[in-house]
Amino acid sequence: MESFFFNPILVKEMRERFRSKKTMFILGLYLLIMGGIPLGFLLMDPVRASALGENRSLFLLSASIHYAMVCFVAPALTAGAISGERERQTLQILLTTQLSPSTIVLSKLITSLAFSALLLVASMPLYSIVILYGSVSPEQMVQLVVFLGVNMLFLGTLGLFCSTWIKRTSVSTITSYGIAFCFIVGTGLLFYFIGQSLQQAYPEQFPNNEVWNLPGLQMLAGINPVVVLFGILGESLADIDQLAFSPWLFFSCFYLVLTVVLICLSAYLLKPIRRKWWSWKKRPNRVN
Amino acid sequence: MVIEMVHISKRYGQLHALTDLNFSVKQGTVYGFIGPNGAGKSTAMLILSTLLEQSEGEAFVCGENVRKNPKAVRQSLGYMPDFFGVYDNLTAVEYLEFYAGAFKIPARKRPALVADLLELVNLSHKADAYVDSLSRGMQQRLSLARSLVHDPSVLILDEPASGLDPRARIELREIIKQLRGMGKTILISSHILPELAELCDEIGVIEQGRMIASGPVRDISQRNRSRKQMILRTLSEEELAARILDECPFVSQLNEYVEEFRFRFDGTEQQKAGLLHELIAAGVDVVFYGDAKENLEDVFLAITEGVGG
Repeated sequence: MESFFFNPILVKEMRERFRSKKTMFILGLYLLIMGGIPLGFLLMDPVRASALGENRSLFLLSASIHYAMVCFVAPALTAGAISGERERQTLQILLTTQLSPSTIVLSKLITSLAFSALLLVASMPLYSIVILYGSVSPEQMVQLVVFLGVNMLFLGTLGLFCSTWIKRTSVSTITSYGIAFCFIVGTGLLFYFIGQSLQQAYPEQFPNNEVWNLPGLQMLAGINPVVVLFGILGESLADIDQLAFSPWLFFSCFYLVLTVVLICLSAYLLKPIRRKWWSWKKRPNRVN
Repeated sequence: MVIEMVHISKRYGQLHALTDLNFSVKQGTVYGFIGPNGAGKSTAMLILSTLLEQSEGEAFVCGENVRKNPKAVRQSLGYMPDFFGVYDNLTAVEYLEFYAGAFKIPARKRPALVADLLELVNLSHKADAYVDSLSRGMQQRLSLARSLVHDPSVLILDEPASGLDPRARIELREIIKQLRGMGKTILISSHILPELAELCDEIGVIEQGRMIASGPVRDISQRNRSRKQMILRTLSEEELAARILDECPFVSQLNEYVEEFRFRFDGTEQQKAGLLHELIAAGVDVVFYGDAKENLEDVFLAITEGVGG
């Protein structure tokens, strides 16, 4: 494990990323947006700004912006990780070294996530303003950090998977944003449409909005980041009374499993020669 | 045999990139791959470098099967592709240290190794220069140093001199000669055939995915001796000389250059003497009449004549 964290890709990527002026620029811009928008709202609404401890909307606003930034930044940082190597014509050389495809994939993911994590950690002090104004419990803050961390990990892995799967970085970036959109908005719309359709089709079975308590629909709601985010923030979306399970825990488990699957798939796709036992065993040996 | 390809075929759908390719390379040999673009040279090299799976057949490097044991094969070969990129924001030393790390060379051994490699490719003075700021020739030499980082016994160099100016090409050639002196087995492809002739012990001529000749350069040349090229140089009467050569039934592939005629002569020594007599009798001032010094281009043209219709 120790040798993994000192593997050459991690060292090289860190050197390359943090030597670039672009990195500092991105970090500065990120903090400006993260801090500027809530500050702007406070300045525009002095009445509320004076009410310390009662401005809960500031927490909602900050968390939503933070989540939007994560959705925007995480895939962008990884969607060119492998396809970029391919476009630079360095991937073939890399694959002839002793580094396994899984090491390459994990190292690329870790270096991209390290930067995402830096963005997340660097923006945390901004929540001091939020905590000052809004009635936010420490538990909610922890849940929010875990939620954002899981999203960062999943969306980063999604970008990395697209980068391994698709040859060009531009197409890979668009595809990863598209798939991310399906998870963020698509699952929410599916949840809403299925629920509404069931209620209209069987009104006698679900007289008092009980359709939303169906296990399948609750699970669909549990994988929708927006529903879970609002759950953490103590707000309720649609007509869900209460999920039968802890939404952020279910959400985290679901996306962590998906992350592992995507990492395995990426490592498989990166192999120059993919192993097919059945075809090898049947192949006649023509040597000699 | 250090490199061995046995009945290798590679198909991309309906396209046959390689068809029943067989060849082997002995330890310490420099083997030149000759063939036009799209002949299958790079495909064969990719298969040997464990980057592409063949459709049929087996390939071995240092006795290891490239498909079944790619990790062992990678440890024993250094690969330099025809087109490659470099990383921005890395110095030459960092670039080589990165690949040394990728081959799991202990960190304490890397500084000395990198210094030696930079000296071998004459880049010691550029050790701290950023890789993307180096000239194409320097990058090519650095890439060669990169392929040597784990001290492989086999080197696969795909068009190493492509895009280089004459000076850079000569520098690279000298380094390859040094590597040959170190006992490395080298598989090299190039379009610049005279360059290969100077470097290679053996050649393989590949055309449309098929190996049409393979063996020591001299053997292959001798096999095509009956198709010898000849040269005629005259002081004057070039038009007359051209007409006589054109009318001679034993002359074919007549080419006129600024100072000489080159042609193929398919007759006996007696008939050769008869042609010279005819030229002199017609008043052509002949200053040279004899066999052209055979080069790899002639061999290649002779071998590939008629291949592929």
